[in-house]
Amino acid sequence: MDRKIVYIKDTGILQPERTKDVYAAFLNGLRERGMQDSVMAVRAADIGVYNQGVVIKVLPDTTYYNVKDGDINRIIDSIKEGEVPSQGGKPVQDLVTCKEPKQLRIVLRNCGIVDPDNIDDYLARDGYQSLKKVLFELKTQEKVIDEIKKSGLRGRGGAGYPTWMKWNFAKQMTADQKYVICNGDEGDPGAYMDRSVLEGDPYSVVEGMMIAGFSIGATKGYFYIRAEYPLAVDRIQNAIDRCYERGLLGNNILGSNFNFDLEIRLGAGAFVCGEETALIASIEGRRGTPHPRPPYPSVKGLWGSPTVINNVETLANVPYIILKGGDVFARVGTATSKGTKVFALTGKIKNSGLVEVPMGTTIREIVYDIGGGIFNNKAIKAIQTGGPSGGVIPKDFLDTPVDYENLQKLGSIMGSGGMIVMDEDDCMVDIARFYQRFCFEESCGKCSPCRIGTAQMLNTLSKITEGLGELTDLDNLRRISQAMQKAALCGLGQTAPNPVVSTLRYYQDEYEVHIINKKCPSKKCRNLLSYKIIPEKCKKCSVCMMNCEAKAITGNKDDGYVIDMNKCVRCGKCFEVCKFKAVSKE
Amino acid sequence: MHEEKLSADIENIVKKWEGKKGSLIMILHDIQNLYGYVPRATSLQLSNYLDVPLARIYEVITFYHFFKLEPPGKHLIQVCMGTACYLKGASDLLHEMRDILGVREGTTTKDGLFRLEVVRCLGCCGLAPVVKVDSKIYSKVRKDQVADILSEYEQEKAVK
Amino acid sequence: MSKITKEELDNIAKQPKKEDKNWIKVGMSSCGIAAGAEDVFKTLTEEVKKRNIQVTIKKCGCAGMCSVEPLVEVNVEGMPQVTYGKVDKDVAIQILDDHIHNHRLVNDHIYDIQVKKANG
Repeated sequence: MDRKIVYIKDTGILQPERTKDVYAAFLNGLRERGMQDSVMAVRAADIGVYNQGVVIKVLPDTTYYNVKDGDINRIIDSIKEGEVPSQGGKPVQDLVTCKEPKQLRIVLRNCGIVDPDNIDDYLARDGYQSLKKVLFELKTQEKVIDEIKKSGLRGRGGAGYPTWMKWNFAKQMTADQKYVICNGDEGDPGAYMDRSVLEGDPYSVVEGMMIAGFSIGATKGYFYIRAEYPLAVDRIQNAIDRCYERGLLGNNILGSNFNFDLEIRLGAGAFVCGEETALIASIEGRRGTPHPRPPYPSVKGLWGSPTVINNVETLANVPYIILKGGDVFARVGTATSKGTKVFALTGKIKNSGLVEVPMGTTIREIVYDIGGGIFNNKAIKAIQTGGPSGGVIPKDFLDTPVDYENLQKLGSIMGSGGMIVMDEDDCMVDIARFYQRFCFEESCGKCSPCRIGTAQMLNTLSKITEGLGELTDLDNLRRISQAMQKAALCGLGQTAPNPVVSTLRYYQDEYEVHIINKKCPSKKCRNLLSYKIIPEKCKKCSVCMMNCEAKAITGNKDDGYVIDMNKCVRCGKCFEVCKFKAVSKE
Repeated sequence: MHEEKLSADIENIVKKWEGKKGSLIMILHDIQNLYGYVPRATSLQLSNYLDVPLARIYEVITFYHFFKLEPPGKHLIQVCMGTACYLKGASDLLHEMRDILGVREGTTTKDGLFRLEVVRCLGCCGLAPVVKVDSKIYSKVRKDQVADILSEYEQEKAVK
Repeated sequence: MSKITKEELDNIAKQPKKEDKNWIKVGMSSCGIAAGAEDVFKTLTEEVKKRNIQVTIKKCGCAGMCSVEPLVEVNVEGMPQVTYGKVDKDVAIQILDDHIHNHRLVNDHIYDIQVKKANG
C-alpha cells in the first residue's frame, strides 16, 4: 500500500495551537473525500522553513507556504488527482514557492548517519576510498597537494591559511621525521563543531590525517584533543584501535609502502594551546606557551621537525576533496573561500545547533531560514563570530555573505565557527567584558602586552559596567587595543582586543550611556539597575518584602512598600516574585 | 593513602608511558583520573621516577586549569560559562549555586560533598545553559531547578 | 580481525550501495547523551527485544539539531525515513507502537522526513 504522506505545521508566531486546527481541518477534508486511508497526515514538530505561515508538505516534492484555511481543500483535491510533478501531476500552482535547501553537508556528511564506533559503517560510506586513491592512483605527494590546491581549501581553525601551502612547505623540508597534528583543542566557548565531528565521524578525520601525512612525508600523527571532551577522546581512541586491527594504521598500509602511526595527546584546559606553537609545547609535555613565528611549524615544529597542524574540520574535508576532486569542491563557495563552513549557531536563536552552509550564504539566511529566527520572537541585535578572537556584527549587516574576507572587513573573523546570536536584552559592554575576562584568564603571561593589556582592559570594562567609567576610558581602551594588536607575541594576544574594538566601533553610544547616564540600556549590568515599586500596580501583598534578603524593602499593608536603593543589592528577587508586575527595573 | 600503593600506582603509570617522548601531561592526566587530583606525594615520586625537578612538574600542573592540587569534593559541580550559556543566564545559576552551597567557585563545601567550578565550554551550547554534576549533564537549567539538582546528591552521606 | 586490503576496498566501491532497512538510530553524541539519549536507547533496545520486533537499534553521531535532542531516526519497510526529535521514553514507546507496528507517523515530534528516491 503506497500512502501519500502529508505533514503540516504553522510556522508563524501563533504555533503550535494553529497547527492542530489546520491538521484537524485537513483530516476532515480527507474524510469528506474518503481519502483517510490513502493519505497519512501528520503534525510536524519542525518542517525546515520558518515564518512562512502554515506550511504543508506533500511528499515527495511539493511544499506549500502560507496556506490559508480555504486552500486546504484545494490541496487535498490536487492530491486526489495525483499532484506529483515528477509523475506529471499538477500541484496547486499559486501556493508553490520554490525554495532551495540552504544546507550542504560535506564536513558533516557522515555525522548522524554512521555508527562512530563501527569501522564497517564508515567503509560502506566510501571510507578509505580516498586513501586508496592517494596510494594507488595519485601516487605522488605533488598530485595530492595539487588536488588540495585546486579545491581552494583554507584552514577552518581561524585564520584561513591555504591548506595546500602549509602542506607544501612541510613537504619541501628534508627531515628524518615529520609530523601531522590534528588540532582538536576547540577552545572558543560557544563552538563545538569539532567535538561533533570527532564524536560523530572519527574515521573521516583519521583518514584526512593519513592523507596529510602521505603528502608531506610524515609517518607519525598526533590528535591533540581537549580533556573536556571525554567522549570525543574515547571515539577517536576506538577508531585508532580499529584501524590498527584492520591494517589501516601501522606499516605497509593497504599493501603499499606507506606507514603511519597515530596517537592521542590530551589538552588540559588552556585556551592558548589552540595556538600552533603553544600546542606543540603542550604535546612535548611542557607549559603551553607560544613562541614567535617564524620559524613556522611547517619548518620547525614538534621536537624541531617539520609539522603540519590542521584543524578537525579542515581534515574532515580532505577525504571528500580527494574522492570527488578538488574542482568539484571548488564549485561550492565564493571567489576566495571555497567549500562549506560549519557553524555552531547558538545564543538567542530558536533552533540552536550545527549548520553547514556553502561559503557565501548570508548571515540572514543562516539565522532566519535555518535557525528559525530569534528565540521568544525578540529583536535581533547582533551576531558574534570568532569567539574571544572575533567581533560582533550588528544587525545592519545581516545580508553579508559569509566568507573569510567579508567577516574580516566587518571587524570580526571566521574563527572556528561559533556564531552567537544576541538580542535586544544583551548588553554590548557586558559582552566585551565577558570576552575580555576570558582572554585575561587565558593569557599565558609570557608577553607583557597581552598579560598587562588584558588585565587593564578588563579593569576598565568592569569600571564602566559598574557605573564608574569616564569618557577617557574609551580612548584608553582603544590605545591598549592597538598596542596589543601590534606587540603581542601570539594570535591570542593580538586578537584579544577584537571584541572590545568591534563593540566600540558599532556600539560606542551604548558605552557612552553607561558612562554618562550611568544606565545600562539592555538592563544587564547589575550595578546600574534601579528597582522601584509602582504604587498604582502594587496590591500590597508584601511578597517582595518577605523575599528581600537585603531588607531593602520597607512598608506595610496600608501604605504600600518602597525600595531603599542604598540597601538594595540588585539581586532582582522582588522583580521576579511580584505577580502583578509592580516592580520596575531600569 | 598508603605510601606503597601510591608507589605502585605511579610505577604502573610511568611504565605505561615509558619510551614515549613528552608524556608528562599524559602521566598527570592518568594520576588525576586515579585520585581525582594530583597529590603532592605523587609529584614527588614522579620527580624521582622521571628524573625531572619537582618545579618542572609543578610548573606544568599549575599552568593548566584542568589539573587540581587539592582533593575534589565528593561531587563535582561544573557550571558552564561558555558564551551561549552566559547569554542564557549561566551567571544566575552560578549565583544560585553559591547561595545554596555557601561556597565560591574553585572551592569545596565544608562537608566535602560538593566542589563548585566554572568551566569554559562543555560543547553543549545547543542545550544552554548547562550544568554538569560528576558525569551527568543537566540541560536548559533554570534558576529554580538548581536546588532540586543539588538535592539529588545531598541525600547521600558526605565523605568522612 | 582481518586486515583490509586494496581489493576489498575496490569491491566495496564496485558494489551498488544497498540501503539498509529496519533500523532505528539514536544520536549519541555528548549533546544527545546530555539530553537523555542513553535512556531512550535502553528503552528501545529492551522493548524491541521484549516484543520481538525485527529492527536493529544503532547509535550514531550528532546530526546537528542540538536543541531538539534526543534525536531518533527510524527507517522501516513501508514507511519513509523519519527523524523524531525531543524523544523521551514515552515517545520512544509511541514510535514502536505507532510508527513501527501500526505504520502511522507520530504527531508533534517529526523534524524531518526523507523522501525516498525511486531507486534508492
